[in-house]
Amino acid sequence: MLLRQFSISSLIFILVFIIQESVINQLRLPAGGFSLILLIALTWAALSNPTAGALTGFISGVLMDLSQSSSGPMGHWTLIMILACYAVAFLGSGNDNVRGTPVTNIFLVSFACVVTLTAFVIIGLLLGMSAGSFSKILITIFSNGIWALLVTPLILPLITRLHVVVLGDQARI
Amino acid sequence: MRNGGEGRTRLLLIILIVTSLFLITLDLRGVKILDGVRGGTQNVLAPFQKAGSTVVSPFRNFIGDITNLGRTSDQIEKLKESNAKLRARLAQRKNADAELAQLKSVLDLAGQAGYKVVAARVISQGASTSFSQTVTIDIGTSSGVRQNMTVLSGEGLVGVVKESYANSALVMLATDPDFKVGVRIAGSQQIGILSGGGSKRASLQLLDNQNVVKVGDVLLARGSTNNRPFVPGIPVGVISAVDSSAGSIAQSATVMLYPNFSGLGVVSVVLSAGKNNPGDALVPAGPQPTPVPTVTIYTTPSPTASAK
Repeated sequence: MLLRQFSISSLIFILVFIIQESVINQLRLPAGGFSLILLIALTWAALSNPTAGALTGFISGVLMDLSQSSSGPMGHWTLIMILACYAVAFLGSGNDNVRGTPVTNIFLVSFACVVTLTAFVIIGLLLGMSAGSFSKILITIFSNGIWALLVTPLILPLITRLHVVVLGDQARI
Repeated sequence: MRNGGEGRTRLLLIILIVTSLFLITLDLRGVKILDGVRGGTQNVLAPFQKAGSTVVSPFRNFIGDITNLGRTSDQIEKLKESNAKLRARLAQRKNADAELAQLKSVLDLAGQAGYKVVAARVISQGASTSFSQTVTIDIGTSSGVRQNMTVLSGEGLVGVVKESYANSALVMLATDPDFKVGVRIAGSQQIGILSGGGSKRASLQLLDNQNVVKVGDVLLARGSTNNRPFVPGIPVGVISAVDSSAGSIAQSATVMLYPNFSGLGVVSVVLSAGKNNPGDALVPAGPQPTPVPTVTIYTTPSPTASAK
Protein backbone atom coordinates (compact mmCIF):
# COMPACT_ATOMS: atom_id res chain seq x y z
CA MET A 1 0.00 0.00 0.00
CA LEU A 2 1.72 3.11 -1.25
CA LEU A 3 1.64 6.43 0.56
CA ARG A 4 -0.66 7.88 -2.11
CA GLN A 5 -3.09 4.97 -1.74
CA PHE A 6 -2.94 5.27 2.05
CA SER A 7 -3.72 8.99 1.83
CA ILE A 8 -6.66 8.49 -0.52
CA SER A 9 -8.01 5.67 1.67
CA SER A 10 -7.70 7.94 4.71
CA LEU A 11 -9.66 10.70 2.97
CA ILE A 12 -12.40 8.24 2.04
CA PHE A 13 -12.67 7.03 5.64
CA ILE A 14 -12.69 10.60 6.99
CA LEU A 15 -15.61 11.32 4.66
CA VAL A 16 -17.39 8.17 5.84
CA PHE A 17 -16.72 9.19 9.45
CA ILE A 18 -18.32 12.62 8.87
CA ILE A 19 -21.34 10.95 7.21
CA GLN A 20 -21.60 8.57 10.16
CA GLU A 21 -21.49 11.35 12.76
CA SER A 22 -23.64 13.92 10.95
CA VAL A 23 -26.19 11.77 9.09
CA ILE A 24 -26.40 8.13 10.17
CA ASN A 25 -26.35 8.91 13.90
CA GLN A 26 -29.17 11.45 13.39
CA LEU A 27 -31.55 9.03 11.68
CA ARG A 28 -32.34 7.23 14.94
CA LEU A 29 -32.93 3.98 13.12
CA PRO A 30 -34.78 1.13 14.81
CA ALA A 31 -32.74 -1.17 17.07
CA GLY A 32 -29.93 1.37 17.41
CA GLY A 33 -29.01 1.51 13.72
CA PHE A 34 -25.59 0.56 12.35
CA SER A 35 -22.04 1.85 12.09
CA LEU A 36 -21.33 2.73 8.47
CA ILE A 37 -17.62 3.19 9.05
CA LEU A 38 -17.37 -0.26 10.64
CA LEU A 39 -19.15 -1.93 7.72
CA ILE A 40 -17.17 -0.05 5.07
CA ALA A 41 -13.86 -0.79 6.79
CA LEU A 42 -14.64 -4.50 7.00
CA THR A 43 -15.84 -4.59 3.38
CA TRP A 44 -12.74 -2.69 2.27
CA ALA A 45 -10.52 -5.10 4.21
CA ALA A 46 -12.30 -8.12 2.73
CA LEU A 47 -11.24 -6.89 -0.72
CA SER A 48 -7.64 -6.13 0.31
CA ASN A 49 -4.48 -8.03 1.17
CA PRO A 50 -3.56 -8.36 4.89
CA THR A 51 -1.16 -5.37 4.82
CA ALA A 52 -3.82 -3.06 3.41
CA GLY A 53 -6.36 -4.68 5.72
CA ALA A 54 -4.33 -3.86 8.85
CA LEU A 55 -3.78 -0.27 7.70
CA THR A 56 -7.50 0.07 6.91
CA GLY A 57 -8.29 -1.13 10.42
CA PHE A 58 -5.86 1.40 11.85
CA ILE A 59 -7.33 4.36 9.93
CA SER A 60 -10.97 3.46 10.66
CA GLY A 61 -10.19 2.54 14.28
CA VAL A 62 -8.51 5.87 15.03
CA LEU A 63 -11.51 7.70 13.53
CA MET A 64 -13.96 5.61 15.56
CA ASP A 65 -11.94 6.41 18.68
CA LEU A 66 -12.21 10.12 17.87
CA SER A 67 -16.01 9.94 17.95
CA GLN A 68 -17.51 11.65 20.99
CA SER A 69 -19.91 8.76 21.48
CA SER A 70 -17.02 6.30 21.79
CA SER A 71 -17.18 4.93 25.33
CA GLY A 72 -13.79 3.24 25.53
CA PRO A 73 -10.34 4.80 25.90
CA MET A 74 -8.50 6.20 22.89
CA GLY A 75 -6.98 3.27 21.01
CA HIS A 76 -9.67 0.79 22.02
CA TRP A 77 -11.40 0.78 18.63
CA THR A 78 -8.01 1.07 16.90
CA LEU A 79 -6.81 -2.17 18.45
CA ILE A 80 -10.03 -4.04 17.67
CA MET A 81 -10.26 -2.74 14.10
CA ILE A 82 -6.61 -3.56 13.27
CA LEU A 83 -7.16 -7.17 14.35
CA ALA A 84 -10.63 -7.46 12.75
CA CYS A 85 -9.63 -5.97 9.38
CA TYR A 86 -6.40 -7.97 9.28
CA ALA A 87 -8.34 -11.17 10.01
CA VAL A 88 -10.97 -10.40 7.37
CA ALA A 89 -8.28 -9.53 4.80
CA PHE A 90 -6.34 -12.67 5.71
CA LEU A 91 -9.47 -14.82 5.21
CA GLY A 92 -10.27 -13.14 1.90
CA SER A 93 -6.72 -12.98 0.56
CA GLY A 94 -6.13 -15.63 -2.07
CA ASN A 95 -9.48 -17.29 -1.43
CA ASP A 96 -11.66 -16.96 -4.50
CA ASN A 97 -14.67 -18.40 -2.68
CA VAL A 98 -14.64 -15.44 -0.34
CA ARG A 99 -13.57 -12.66 -2.67
CA GLY A 100 -15.26 -13.88 -5.82
CA THR A 101 -18.79 -14.27 -4.49
CA PRO A 102 -20.74 -11.23 -3.26
CA VAL A 103 -23.01 -13.36 -1.06
CA THR A 104 -20.02 -14.91 0.73
CA ASN A 105 -18.51 -11.47 1.14
CA ILE A 106 -21.72 -10.09 2.65
CA PHE A 107 -21.90 -12.93 5.17
CA LEU A 108 -18.20 -12.56 5.96
CA VAL A 109 -18.61 -8.82 6.67
CA SER A 110 -21.78 -9.36 8.74
CA PHE A 111 -20.16 -12.13 10.76
CA ALA A 112 -17.03 -10.03 11.22
CA CYS A 113 -19.22 -7.12 12.40
CA VAL A 114 -20.76 -9.31 15.13
CA VAL A 115 -17.38 -10.72 16.17
CA THR A 116 -15.80 -7.24 16.18
CA LEU A 117 -18.51 -5.83 18.44
CA THR A 118 -18.26 -8.83 20.75
CA ALA A 119 -14.48 -8.39 20.96
CA PHE A 120 -14.96 -4.67 21.59
CA VAL A 121 -17.23 -5.42 24.55
CA ILE A 122 -14.95 -8.09 26.00
CA ILE A 123 -11.82 -5.92 25.73
CA GLY A 124 -13.85 -2.97 27.02
CA LEU A 125 -14.96 -4.91 30.09
CA LEU A 126 -11.32 -5.83 30.75
CA LEU A 127 -10.45 -2.12 30.53
CA GLY A 128 -13.24 -1.20 32.96
CA MET A 129 -15.87 0.01 30.49
CA SER A 130 -19.56 -0.20 31.45
CA ALA A 131 -21.58 -1.71 28.63
CA GLY A 132 -25.00 -2.18 30.25
CA SER A 133 -26.92 -5.34 30.91
CA PHE A 134 -26.12 -8.61 29.20
CA SER A 135 -29.44 -8.65 27.35
CA LYS A 136 -28.89 -5.10 26.11
CA ILE A 137 -25.42 -6.05 24.80
CA LEU A 138 -26.85 -9.11 23.05
CA ILE A 139 -29.64 -7.09 21.44
CA THR A 140 -27.20 -4.39 20.25
CA ILE A 141 -24.79 -6.91 18.74
CA PHE A 142 -27.55 -8.99 17.16
CA SER A 143 -29.31 -5.95 15.66
CA ASN A 144 -26.00 -4.66 14.29
CA GLY A 145 -25.51 -8.05 12.62
CA ILE A 146 -28.97 -7.79 11.04
CA TRP A 147 -28.27 -4.22 9.88
CA ALA A 148 -24.95 -5.41 8.43
CA LEU A 149 -26.78 -8.07 6.39
CA LEU A 150 -29.15 -5.39 5.07
CA VAL A 151 -26.65 -2.58 4.43
CA THR A 152 -23.61 -4.47 3.10
CA PRO A 153 -25.31 -5.51 -0.18
CA LEU A 154 -26.10 -1.83 -0.80
CA ILE A 155 -22.57 -0.53 -0.22
CA LEU A 156 -20.64 -3.48 -1.67
CA PRO A 157 -20.80 -2.43 -5.38
CA LEU A 158 -19.68 1.13 -4.56
CA ILE A 159 -16.90 0.00 -2.24
CA THR A 160 -15.69 -2.54 -4.82
CA ARG A 161 -15.41 0.17 -7.50
CA LEU A 162 -13.72 2.60 -5.12
CA HIS A 163 -11.33 -0.12 -4.05
CA VAL A 164 -10.37 -0.85 -7.65
CA VAL A 165 -9.79 2.86 -8.31
CA VAL A 166 -7.69 3.41 -5.20
CA LEU A 167 -5.79 0.16 -4.74
CA GLY A 168 -5.85 -1.27 -8.24
CA ASP A 169 -7.52 -4.39 -9.57
CA GLN A 170 -7.31 -6.51 -6.46
CA ALA A 171 -11.05 -6.93 -6.09
CA ARG A 172 -12.88 -9.22 -8.43
CA ILE A 173 -16.48 -8.98 -7.27
CA MET B 1 3.07 -10.37 -0.34
CA ARG B 2 3.15 -14.13 -0.44
CA ASN B 3 6.66 -13.95 -1.96
CA GLY B 4 8.55 -12.85 1.09
CA GLY B 5 6.24 -10.07 2.15
CA GLU B 6 4.71 -11.94 5.07
CA GLY B 7 7.48 -10.83 7.41
CA ARG B 8 6.87 -7.20 6.47
CA THR B 9 3.12 -7.60 7.02
CA ARG B 10 3.67 -9.13 10.44
CA LEU B 11 6.07 -6.34 11.38
CA LEU B 12 3.50 -3.74 10.28
CA LEU B 13 0.77 -5.53 12.25
CA ILE B 14 2.92 -5.57 15.37
CA ILE B 15 3.76 -1.86 14.97
CA LEU B 16 0.07 -0.96 14.57
CA ILE B 17 -1.00 -3.06 17.57
CA VAL B 18 1.77 -1.57 19.73
CA THR B 19 0.65 1.91 18.61
CA SER B 20 -2.94 1.21 19.64
CA LEU B 21 -1.82 -0.22 22.99
CA PHE B 22 0.32 2.89 23.46
CA LEU B 23 -2.74 5.07 22.83
CA ILE B 24 -4.82 3.04 25.31
CA THR B 25 -2.11 3.37 27.95
CA LEU B 26 -1.82 7.12 27.42
CA ASP B 27 -5.58 7.55 27.65
CA LEU B 28 -5.94 5.42 30.78
CA ARG B 29 -3.12 7.41 32.39
CA GLY B 30 -5.10 10.60 31.71
CA VAL B 31 -2.87 12.31 29.15
CA LYS B 32 -4.75 15.50 28.24
CA ILE B 33 -3.52 15.68 24.64
CA LEU B 34 -5.87 12.85 23.66
CA ASP B 35 -8.85 14.65 25.21
CA GLY B 36 -7.82 17.72 23.23
CA VAL B 37 -7.80 15.69 20.02
CA ARG B 38 -11.29 14.38 20.72
CA GLY B 39 -12.49 17.87 21.63
CA GLY B 40 -10.97 19.30 18.45
CA THR B 41 -12.68 16.61 16.39
CA GLN B 42 -16.02 17.46 17.98
CA ASN B 43 -15.49 21.17 17.26
CA VAL B 44 -14.85 20.31 13.61
CA LEU B 45 -17.83 17.96 13.46
CA ALA B 46 -20.35 20.27 15.15
CA PRO B 47 -21.19 22.33 11.99
CA PHE B 48 -21.57 19.12 9.97
CA GLN B 49 -23.86 17.69 12.65
CA LYS B 50 -25.99 20.84 12.66
CA ALA B 51 -26.27 20.76 8.88
CA GLY B 52 -26.94 17.03 8.97
CA SER B 53 -29.66 17.51 11.57
CA THR B 54 -31.47 19.93 9.26
CA VAL B 55 -31.06 17.78 6.16
CA VAL B 56 -31.91 14.51 7.85
CA SER B 57 -34.90 15.73 9.87
CA PRO B 58 -37.52 14.79 7.18
CA PHE B 59 -36.11 11.24 7.01
CA ARG B 60 -35.86 11.08 10.80
CA ASN B 61 -39.47 12.21 11.07
CA PHE B 62 -40.48 9.61 8.51
CA ILE B 63 -38.75 6.88 10.49
CA GLY B 64 -40.28 8.30 13.66
CA ASP B 65 -43.73 8.22 12.07
CA ILE B 66 -43.26 4.57 11.18
CA THR B 67 -42.02 3.78 14.68
CA ASN B 68 -44.80 5.77 16.34
CA LEU B 69 -47.77 5.02 14.12
CA GLY B 70 -50.68 7.32 14.81
CA ARG B 71 -48.55 10.25 15.93
CA THR B 72 -47.42 13.21 13.93
CA SER B 73 -43.77 13.50 14.82
CA ASP B 74 -43.40 16.96 13.35
CA GLN B 75 -46.23 18.28 15.49
CA ILE B 76 -44.78 16.66 18.61
CA GLU B 77 -41.37 18.19 17.86
CA LYS B 78 -42.94 21.65 17.51
CA LEU B 79 -44.86 21.23 20.76
CA LYS B 80 -41.71 20.09 22.57
CA GLU B 81 -39.78 23.09 21.27
CA SER B 82 -42.61 25.39 22.34
CA ASN B 83 -42.72 23.77 25.80
CA ALA B 84 -38.98 24.21 26.30
CA LYS B 85 -39.10 27.89 25.32
CA LEU B 86 -42.00 28.53 27.67
CA ARG B 87 -40.30 26.64 30.47
CA ALA B 88 -37.11 28.70 30.08
CA ARG B 89 -39.19 31.90 30.28
CA LEU B 90 -41.00 30.67 33.37
CA ALA B 91 -37.72 29.88 35.07
CA GLN B 92 -36.90 33.59 35.06
CA ARG B 93 -40.26 34.60 36.50
CA LYS B 94 -41.76 33.77 39.82
CA ASN B 95 -45.36 34.07 38.77
CA ALA B 96 -46.49 32.34 35.65
CA ASP B 97 -49.23 34.03 33.66
CA ALA B 98 -52.53 32.42 32.90
CA GLU B 99 -51.65 31.59 29.30
CA LEU B 100 -49.16 29.03 30.52
CA ALA B 101 -51.71 27.18 32.63
CA GLN B 102 -52.15 24.35 30.12
CA LEU B 103 -48.39 23.71 30.27
CA LYS B 104 -48.26 24.04 34.05
CA SER B 105 -47.22 20.49 34.76
CA VAL B 106 -44.14 20.84 32.57
CA LEU B 107 -43.26 24.45 33.25
CA ASP B 108 -43.52 24.11 37.04
CA LEU B 109 -40.48 21.89 36.85
CA ALA B 110 -38.20 24.86 36.27
CA GLY B 111 -40.48 27.70 37.35
CA GLN B 112 -41.26 26.58 40.88
CA ALA B 113 -37.65 25.68 41.53
CA GLY B 114 -36.40 28.98 40.11
CA TYR B 115 -33.79 27.38 37.91
CA LYS B 116 -31.96 29.52 35.40
CA VAL B 117 -31.95 27.39 32.25
CA VAL B 118 -30.85 27.62 28.65
CA ALA B 119 -32.64 25.66 25.92
CA ALA B 120 -30.75 23.45 23.48
CA ARG B 121 -31.48 21.22 20.52
CA VAL B 122 -30.25 17.66 20.36
CA ILE B 123 -28.12 17.51 17.21
CA SER B 124 -26.66 14.03 17.43
CA GLN B 125 -27.13 10.77 19.23
CA GLY B 126 -24.31 8.41 20.19
CA ALA B 127 -23.88 5.33 18.03
CA SER B 128 -25.26 2.11 19.46
CA THR B 129 -21.89 0.46 18.83
CA SER B 130 -20.33 2.65 21.52
CA PHE B 131 -22.45 0.91 24.21
CA SER B 132 -22.93 4.27 25.91
CA GLN B 133 -25.99 6.51 26.00
CA THR B 134 -25.10 10.05 24.99
CA VAL B 135 -26.48 12.92 22.94
CA THR B 136 -24.82 16.06 21.61
CA ILE B 137 -26.56 19.42 22.05
CA ASP B 138 -26.03 22.57 19.99
CA ILE B 139 -24.85 24.89 22.76
CA GLY B 140 -21.58 24.92 24.64
CA THR B 141 -19.23 27.11 26.63
CA SER B 142 -20.21 30.16 24.55
CA SER B 143 -23.72 29.86 26.07
CA GLY B 144 -22.46 29.29 29.58
CA VAL B 145 -22.69 25.50 29.50
CA ARG B 146 -20.01 23.82 31.57
CA GLN B 147 -19.11 20.28 32.51
CA ASN B 148 -21.30 18.64 35.18
CA MET B 149 -24.42 20.74 34.64
CA THR B 150 -27.90 19.21 34.94
CA VAL B 151 -29.87 18.64 31.73
CA LEU B 152 -33.70 18.61 31.83
CA SER B 153 -36.61 17.89 29.56
CA GLY B 154 -40.25 18.71 30.22
CA GLU B 155 -40.69 15.38 31.97
CA GLY B 156 -37.70 15.48 34.28
CA LEU B 157 -33.99 14.66 34.53
CA VAL B 158 -32.37 13.82 31.18
CA GLY B 159 -28.72 13.59 32.18
CA VAL B 160 -25.60 15.57 32.87
CA VAL B 161 -23.14 17.50 30.70
CA LYS B 162 -20.13 15.22 30.30
CA GLU B 163 -17.98 17.41 28.05
CA SER B 164 -18.45 21.02 26.95
CA TYR B 165 -16.98 22.55 23.80
CA ALA B 166 -17.27 25.99 22.22
CA ASN B 167 -20.59 25.45 20.42
CA SER B 168 -21.68 21.99 21.49
CA ALA B 169 -21.75 19.74 24.51
CA LEU B 170 -21.88 16.00 25.13
CA VAL B 171 -24.64 14.90 27.50
CA MET B 172 -24.52 11.59 29.33
CA LEU B 173 -28.10 10.33 29.52
CA ALA B 174 -29.63 8.94 32.68
CA THR B 175 -29.92 5.62 30.83
CA ASP B 176 -26.14 5.28 30.50
CA PRO B 177 -24.73 2.33 32.46
CA ASP B 178 -22.16 4.71 34.01
CA PHE B 179 -24.82 7.20 35.15
CA LYS B 180 -25.43 7.51 38.89
CA VAL B 181 -27.49 10.07 40.78
CA GLY B 182 -28.39 10.45 44.43
CA VAL B 183 -32.17 10.44 44.81
CA ARG B 184 -34.77 10.69 47.53
CA ILE B 185 -38.32 9.43 47.59
CA ALA B 186 -40.88 12.23 47.62
CA GLY B 187 -42.80 12.20 50.87
CA SER B 188 -40.88 9.63 52.89
CA GLN B 189 -37.53 11.36 52.14
CA GLN B 190 -35.68 8.03 51.99
CA ILE B 191 -32.44 8.37 50.08
CA GLY B 192 -30.75 6.04 47.63
CA ILE B 193 -28.62 5.80 44.53
CA LEU B 194 -30.11 5.42 41.08
CA SER B 195 -28.01 3.74 38.38
CA GLY B 196 -28.69 3.74 34.63
CA GLY B 197 -29.32 0.39 33.04
CA GLY B 198 -29.03 0.99 29.31
CA SER B 199 -32.76 1.48 28.86
CA LYS B 200 -35.60 3.54 30.30
CA ARG B 201 -35.60 1.24 33.32
CA ALA B 202 -33.05 2.16 35.96
CA SER B 203 -32.20 0.48 39.24
CA LEU B 204 -32.54 2.05 42.68
CA GLN B 205 -30.50 1.03 45.70
CA LEU B 206 -31.79 2.47 48.98
CA LEU B 207 -29.25 3.27 51.65
CA ASP B 208 -31.19 1.75 54.54
CA ASN B 209 -33.80 -0.91 55.00
CA GLN B 210 -35.91 0.78 57.66
CA ASN B 211 -38.84 1.93 55.58
CA VAL B 212 -40.80 0.30 52.82
CA VAL B 213 -40.97 1.60 49.28
CA LYS B 214 -43.89 0.86 47.04
CA VAL B 215 -44.72 0.92 43.36
CA GLY B 216 -45.71 4.43 42.33
CA ASP B 217 -43.34 6.27 44.66
CA VAL B 218 -41.80 9.27 42.92
CA LEU B 219 -38.03 9.85 42.94
CA LEU B 220 -36.47 13.29 42.99
CA ALA B 221 -32.82 14.29 42.55
CA ARG B 222 -31.18 14.88 45.92
CA GLY B 223 -28.86 17.59 44.65
CA SER B 224 -25.10 18.03 44.80
CA THR B 225 -22.66 20.41 46.44
CA ASN B 226 -22.90 23.80 44.68
CA ASN B 227 -25.72 22.27 42.58
CA ARG B 228 -23.32 20.45 40.28
CA PRO B 229 -23.74 17.97 38.74
CA PHE B 230 -27.34 17.84 40.02
CA VAL B 231 -29.71 20.52 41.21
CA PRO B 232 -32.13 19.32 43.90
CA GLY B 233 -35.77 18.48 43.44
CA ILE B 234 -35.89 17.43 39.77
CA PRO B 235 -38.29 14.55 39.06
CA VAL B 236 -36.27 11.50 38.01
CA GLY B 237 -38.73 8.64 37.71
CA VAL B 238 -41.31 6.47 39.38
CA ILE B 239 -40.84 3.09 41.03
CA SER B 240 -42.29 0.40 38.79
CA ALA B 241 -41.22 -2.72 40.71
CA VAL B 242 -39.81 -3.45 44.15
CA ASP B 243 -37.28 -6.19 44.81
CA SER B 244 -38.53 -7.68 48.03
CA SER B 245 -36.02 -10.52 48.34
CA ALA B 246 -35.61 -11.53 51.98
CA GLY B 247 -32.30 -11.02 53.72
CA SER B 248 -31.09 -8.15 51.56
CA ILE B 249 -29.16 -5.44 53.40
CA ALA B 250 -30.80 -2.59 51.53
CA GLN B 251 -33.92 -2.47 49.44
CA SER B 252 -33.65 -2.21 45.69
CA ALA B 253 -36.24 -1.33 43.10
CA THR B 254 -36.72 -0.83 39.39
CA VAL B 255 -37.46 2.72 38.33
CA MET B 256 -39.17 3.93 35.17
CA LEU B 257 -37.44 7.17 34.17
CA TYR B 258 -39.73 10.05 33.19
CA PRO B 259 -38.24 11.43 29.93
CA ASN B 260 -38.79 9.82 26.54
CA PHE B 261 -35.11 9.39 25.63
CA SER B 262 -35.71 8.07 22.12
CA GLY B 263 -37.60 11.22 21.18
CA LEU B 264 -35.42 13.91 22.73
CA GLY B 265 -35.56 17.01 20.56
CA VAL B 266 -35.22 20.01 22.83
CA VAL B 267 -33.70 19.99 26.31
CA SER B 268 -32.63 22.60 28.84
CA VAL B 269 -29.35 22.95 30.69
CA VAL B 270 -29.62 24.32 34.23
CA LEU B 271 -27.11 27.16 34.52
CA SER B 272 -27.92 27.89 38.16
CA ALA B 273 -30.46 26.74 40.72
CA GLY B 274 -32.72 28.91 42.87
CA LYS B 275 -31.77 29.96 46.37
CA ASN B 276 -34.26 27.65 48.00
CA ASN B 277 -34.48 23.89 47.69
CA PRO B 278 -37.82 23.17 45.97
CA GLY B 279 -38.36 20.09 48.15
CA ASP B 280 -41.22 17.97 46.85
CA ALA B 281 -42.78 20.83 44.88
CA LEU B 282 -41.83 19.37 41.51
CA VAL B 283 -43.48 15.97 41.99
CA PRO B 284 -45.57 15.39 38.85
CA ALA B 285 -49.30 15.31 39.39
CA GLY B 286 -50.69 11.77 39.23
CA PRO B 287 -53.51 10.84 36.91
CA GLN B 288 -56.88 12.05 38.14
CA PRO B 289 -59.33 9.21 38.84
CA THR B 290 -62.23 9.18 36.41
CA PRO B 291 -65.58 9.16 38.22
CA VAL B 292 -67.46 5.97 37.49
CA PRO B 293 -71.25 6.34 37.36
CA THR B 294 -73.04 3.90 39.67
CA VAL B 295 -76.35 2.40 38.69
CA THR B 296 -78.72 1.14 41.37
CA ILE B 297 -81.39 -1.30 40.33
CA TYR B 298 -84.45 -1.75 42.48
CA THR B 299 -86.58 -4.84 42.03
CA THR B 300 -90.07 -5.31 43.34
CA PRO B 301 -91.81 -8.72 43.36
CA SER B 302 -94.60 -8.88 40.83
CA PRO B 303 -98.10 -9.42 42.30
CA THR B 304 -98.84 -12.36 39.97
CA ALA B 305 -95.75 -14.25 41.14
CA SER B 306 -96.68 -13.80 44.81
CA ALA B 307 -100.24 -14.95 44.12
CA LYS B 308 -98.96 -18.25 42.77
